[in-house]
Amino acid sequence: MEGSILKIENLSVSYTHEQVLAVRDFTLAIKPGESVGLIGESGSGKSSLALAIMGLLQNRAEVHGRVWFKDIELTGLMEQELNDYRWSRIAIVFQNSLDVLNPVMTVGEQIGEVLRRHRGIKGMAARERMEELLSMVGLEPYWLKSYPHQLSGGMRQKVLIAMAFSCEPEVLLVDEPTMAIDAIAKDEIVKLLLRLKEEKRCSLLVISHELPVISAMTSRMLVMYSGNIVEEGETKEVLNNPLHPYTRGLIYASPSINPYRDMWGIPGEHGPIGSKQCSFFSRCNQSIDRCAQENPPLQLVCKGRRVACSRGGIVTLLRGKAIDKSYMVKERRIVACSSCDIEVKMGEVTALVGQSGSGKTTIAEILAGIIKADAGEVVFENKEVCGNKETSRTGGIQIVFQDPLSSTNESFTVEEIVREPLDIIRWYTKKEREQSVRDALKNVQLPYDNIFLKRHGFTLSGGQRQRVAIARALVMKPKLLIADEISAMLDPSTTANLLRLLKGLQVREGFAMLYISHDLALVQKIADKIYVMCNGRIIEHGSIGDVLRCPKEEYTKILLRSASINT
Amino acid sequence: MNISCFSTSKYMGKKVQGKFKIIKLFSTYGKFGIIVILFMLFIGIVSILFMGNSYKIPSGRSLEAPSLVHLLGTDDLGIDLLAQICHGAVVSILVGFCSAALAGIGGSIFGILSGYYGGWMDKLVMGICDTLMVIPQLPLMIILGALFGPSIKNIVLVIALLSWSRPARIVRSKVLSMRHERYITASQSYGAGFLHLVVKHFLPGVFPIMMVSVIGTISHAIRAEASLSFLGLGDPTSKSWGVILNRSINFKGIYFTDYWKWWVMAPLSMLILLVLSISFVSRDMEKVANKKL
Repeated sequence: MEGSILKIENLSVSYTHEQVLAVRDFTLAIKPGESVGLIGESGSGKSSLALAIMGLLQNRAEVHGRVWFKDIELTGLMEQELNDYRWSRIAIVFQNSLDVLNPVMTVGEQIGEVLRRHRGIKGMAARERMEELLSMVGLEPYWLKSYPHQLSGGMRQKVLIAMAFSCEPEVLLVDEPTMAIDAIAKDEIVKLLLRLKEEKRCSLLVISHELPVISAMTSRMLVMYSGNIVEEGETKEVLNNPLHPYTRGLIYASPSINPYRDMWGIPGEHGPIGSKQCSFFSRCNQSIDRCAQENPPLQLVCKGRRVACSRGGIVTLLRGKAIDKSYMVKERRIVACSSCDIEVKMGEVTALVGQSGSGKTTIAEILAGIIKADAGEVVFENKEVCGNKETSRTGGIQIVFQDPLSSTNESFTVEEIVREPLDIIRWYTKKEREQSVRDALKNVQLPYDNIFLKRHGFTLSGGQRQRVAIARALVMKPKLLIADEISAMLDPSTTANLLRLLKGLQVREGFAMLYISHDLALVQKIADKIYVMCNGRIIEHGSIGDVLRCPKEEYTKILLRSASINT
Repeated sequence: MNISCFSTSKYMGKKVQGKFKIIKLFSTYGKFGIIVILFMLFIGIVSILFMGNSYKIPSGRSLEAPSLVHLLGTDDLGIDLLAQICHGAVVSILVGFCSAALAGIGGSIFGILSGYYGGWMDKLVMGICDTLMVIPQLPLMIILGALFGPSIKNIVLVIALLSWSRPARIVRSKVLSMRHERYITASQSYGAGFLHLVVKHFLPGVFPIMMVSVIGTISHAIRAEASLSFLGLGDPTSKSWGVILNRSINFKGIYFTDYWKWWVMAPLSMLILLVLSISFVSRDMEKVANKKL
């Protein structure tokens, strides 16, 4: 890219002795004055990347690819020449820890060393410069005489920043600037870095695993997973509408993005790195056969957004378009839903909220194919839903009804209830069905021994029967679970248990869920997206944080107010 | 399909086992009824196994009073009345159970069909039911009995034909209410066909109340057979209790003699006893079934 101040081309880092590819084909161009964020979980290769850019990995790892500073190719330079650029043109703020600073040298000695080596400043001039630097980062000059262990974490971070700025670099790499320091100090550091960036007009590459830091400091961001960049785009857009399942997982794991929601980490473990499959394959909830065979490159999906996914980012699982339905009751036409559009993405919990009688159940049943819409279409995985086509197969849609007493036949035994769908679709052998039943019961935290399997439905409590009903839906391994007011008839404690269980299952198994409820307080705990329904119309929708923070429609405000009666 | 049939019979087996437990819940009358029905079955079996043709071959003088040789005396042809009563029990129970079973099965089929499918099917079945219910049964039975000719088989058919409407209505109403249960919707969404729903859901659900109605039909059928026979429209060779009564009543001047004391009273009291017992059992069954429903 022309005019970029730092350009990285196909940079790969591999630690030969561990046979691990820490960074794979990393390409990035940073413009002057731009600040770019790099986010990823611990161990995704972020720090290796920073060290490789600085040329600090030469002896420890094999580094391929090229790094350009303006027109000069840094990777081609000798160690001595590289030192001219290091610190004075490109500086790094190291990850904050005690051993970054030499424990037997005072702060002043350490900053002075940088100044002497790279700028040749000595004596009084150096002293003045050091005091200037310290006051720049908000530290009193007398701290120059102290040793690193006498400083707090936040202060050490400030010293590191002061060291990095000592030679007035044009590019600053900031590696985990806010790790392991408290919230107030964190805020201070972020503000300090932003202020310095403005004052010194330098470019920033912020490496962090904390979304709020990236979101506050950068305008563009990259998401890194297992050494691969999986998504790239404007920070705001990426955070509002993540395209890669991994990015979404990171956002959902950050309580600061949506404080109401329960936190859930990304399930699963890293797959074998360096194999042919997609790097996120082992943890992805929308993987297909193709994902096991190729590691997709970063591709442009829309303006300014690139994502590395064989399926082109998060897939829209279910889409209802312009759904109309009305009932005739004694020659009076009752509109249950009119031109409703609804969308559920893979691996997401979408809530449909509204009063009783707003048409929620009707739309749920239309989406599941139980009743026919008067107009409009429902598309599931690019195929139209008609009748029980999607509910009568594994990997399709399943619906759990409101009334646990009606949704299971009470004279059946638990085993018969849960096994029924498998019996109907003649799924494999009897033995495998039984195993599947036991697994499903285990998943919903019910006993799965023979005694429980032989118990009749009418001997179970409402909460147990609802869980049995969920187990029945789960044996079909649905990609989408429609839960229609499943907790409306249960007491608060049972509801809490059930919902946590369901959400946990959803995160672990990766299915999508359409959660229908009138209870906003519950919804905000588990949902990612929300649709608000009133008198058969969907009046508002969006990500749960946005809608709850600043609802646009009066009706949503009323719902919100009535949900918080006690506060 | 084989598998599901198998599991259903297993399921019903469980229900029957449950039924024996139900007897404990019966009132004294109910228990008495059960004992009487078992006794009737017993004498019927004894008659088939040990009494041979003694119910139609004279074994003494005509119109003997009860004695040690003929415990209930003899009729005008000198045939032992006890043998006739025992044989009559077989006929009555056979007619009762067969026609009730026929009516129950037929009623269930039509009830399920009309309840499940609704629409014109429902209208047709319910129309026939209503018609059957408003027509006075006995006259229709007499006409049909006369039309088909006197034989046990025909009587069973006629009674079944006229009494399936009650079980049908009951089954229909149950199926109607079950059809809107969510587990049926769920089952359908998994792709369950009509047969699966009937075998797995409707039949087991309908079974208890159908049993109650069928038992009621048994006593109705026994009475109907006796009435037809009493009126001379039964099978004269069957020697059912109705036929015995018919013969004794038609014996001229029976009330001027003592003969009625055994000839009329024996079949009559047996008839009353059996019908009463079945009514007791039916009433108790209904109570128990309602408690579970």
